[in-house]
Amino acid sequence: MANQFKARQQHYRRWQQKPIEAAFSVLILSLILWAVWSTGSWLIAGADWRVVTHNLPLYAFGSYPADQRWRPLVWMAALLLLTITTLSGDHLPQPLKRLQPFLPWAWILMVPAGVVLLAGSANLQAVPSRAWGGLTLTLLLTTASGFLALPMGIGLAIGRTSNLGLVAMLCRIYIDLMRAVPLIAVLFFGQLLLPLFLPVEIEINRVLRAVMAFALFAAAYVAEDVRGGLQSIPRTQAEAAAALGLNASLTMRLVILPQAMRIAVPALTNQAIGLLQNTSLMAILGLIELLGISRSLLANPEYIGRHLEVYVWLAGVYWLLCSGMALLAKRIERQGRLSTSS
Amino acid sequence: MNRSKRWWWQVIIVIGLLTVMGILINNLAVNLIRTGLGLSFDWLWRPAGFALSEHPLPYQSSDSTAWALLMGWLNSLRVIFAGIVLATLLGVSTGAARRSLNPLLRQIAALYVGFIRQIPLLLQLLFWYFVAFLGLPSEPFAPLGAVIHLSNQGISLLGVTLSVEFAAVLLGLSVFTGASIAEVVRGGLDSVPRGQWEAFRSLGMTEGLGLRRIVLPQALPAILPALSSQYLNLAKNSTLAIAVGYADLYAVSDTTITQTGRAIEGFLLLLLSFLLLNLLINGGMQLLNRAVLRSQHHH
Repeated sequence: MANQFKARQQHYRRWQQKPIEAAFSVLILSLILWAVWSTGSWLIAGADWRVVTHNLPLYAFGSYPADQRWRPLVWMAALLLLTITTLSGDHLPQPLKRLQPFLPWAWILMVPAGVVLLAGSANLQAVPSRAWGGLTLTLLLTTASGFLALPMGIGLAIGRTSNLGLVAMLCRIYIDLMRAVPLIAVLFFGQLLLPLFLPVEIEINRVLRAVMAFALFAAAYVAEDVRGGLQSIPRTQAEAAAALGLNASLTMRLVILPQAMRIAVPALTNQAIGLLQNTSLMAILGLIELLGISRSLLANPEYIGRHLEVYVWLAGVYWLLCSGMALLAKRIERQGRLSTSS
Repeated sequence: MNRSKRWWWQVIIVIGLLTVMGILINNLAVNLIRTGLGLSFDWLWRPAGFALSEHPLPYQSSDSTAWALLMGWLNSLRVIFAGIVLATLLGVSTGAARRSLNPLLRQIAALYVGFIRQIPLLLQLLFWYFVAFLGLPSEPFAPLGAVIHLSNQGISLLGVTLSVEFAAVLLGLSVFTGASIAEVVRGGLDSVPRGQWEAFRSLGMTEGLGLRRIVLPQALPAILPALSSQYLNLAKNSTLAIAVGYADLYAVSDTTITQTGRAIEGFLLLLLSFLLLNLLINGGMQLLNRAVLRSQHHH
């Protein structure tokens, strides 16, 4: 108690000694209060939220046929459920806990399941990919290209650090080239030029082309993060594995890579969050994902000049998604640490 | 792996890669012949046929396409270098603010960094353009006397007139990259031993002076490599300018490709331009790095 009082006294003395700093702080504080007040009153009274509230299905599903919307809804609900299950970890009720080892498989299966659900199959009416949109498409682009980029990036990283000189050089050229060009150029390549490199009879839809471009681009960045992990594993690990009689590929798979990946997780999280944010670039190239659908809504004369409402709403959605991903990554990181210590 | 086995592996990989590339290029050739396009760069010297909203040198639509692309180049360089300066100022002061003694300043800096990094850059650019700048009144007004005149037709700063598009791209890129640079600077400051901070404080140096003369110089070797990759990111991200209609390199290339149908050639030129830009920034940063290291050896 006495200590606290003393500290406060010192605090006041510090302010008295620095009148300019104190005045500056008061000024900033009043500016913040003013900003909070005006933002708050705009959010409640000034804004016209109809552009958001009347179009929620569009933001969620794009122009997916209304009677089939349960399909993207089921997929997104499964994604949310899987996220929550992964996040709750040890707090799961006992019967569910036994399913935990299957979580990684469930995550890997999410992408093909999503594609089948959205595109349709034997019993489901076929829906062309140009009708996919909104949050569904944003999430599909992110998960599909993320799950493709991860193995590609790991392969590139191993190739770049391998002792096959030629392979290392080729991987290096690919990684450096990809990291030198802007993403939008790669996406442009995927949308307009990729078909030129394929035989006439093969036609891939625009969503798949976008996923391929994102994956090719992200793989180069994943590779550099994984390489960072690989290089931080001391040589003695490989030597110990060799002494135990493991061959090169087993050493990589069982000893080096698991440790390297654990180190790379924080960097890879940032890549994943970046990937989610970057899917918005497809709005420039004509896909109606979350940002694309908003741009077409703003072009509607009914919602003219409602930019701020839409952008604030989108910022909130992206912020929530990115924070969710950051939480997931923290969870994975902790699990990694636990499994090392046990 | 023994040497001959390694050699064989490499031969197999080269043959496989050459085969794949051969198939792709063959497909391309077939497709180009089918569409009657072929491969040529003659179009570069024909009149561009489109207007540019902004051009640092005289330009009209009857000028050659190559000249139009050069204008795009210059517009890109303009916004990239202005952005690098502004983002560095913002990032360094924010990074330093996160380690300041003033708790209010620390909180604001953390809030700025945390918020900006969770929102897509493209969304931020659209916000700056459509809300912040196009939302200005059409009649110029001067909030700071003669220093700056603002209107939705353009910004006039100390007599220099900037277009709304340029200002939106510049501010969007700087605010976004500034947040990342702040993290780099904070990491660099943290790499300096705490004793250094305590030492200058106990000598009675002010925070600003101590930061400038004692801590930052020691943090610089840790900051510079990460800083140059942020600059490269800024340069690459400047291509999003197309979303607000700023005539940068990518936007002009895009228009050229739509006008001439020369997608492959236009794309190749775009790639070459970016490789050149990368070399430019990397080279500049390496010079800076070397200068910093040299000046530190002298001390």
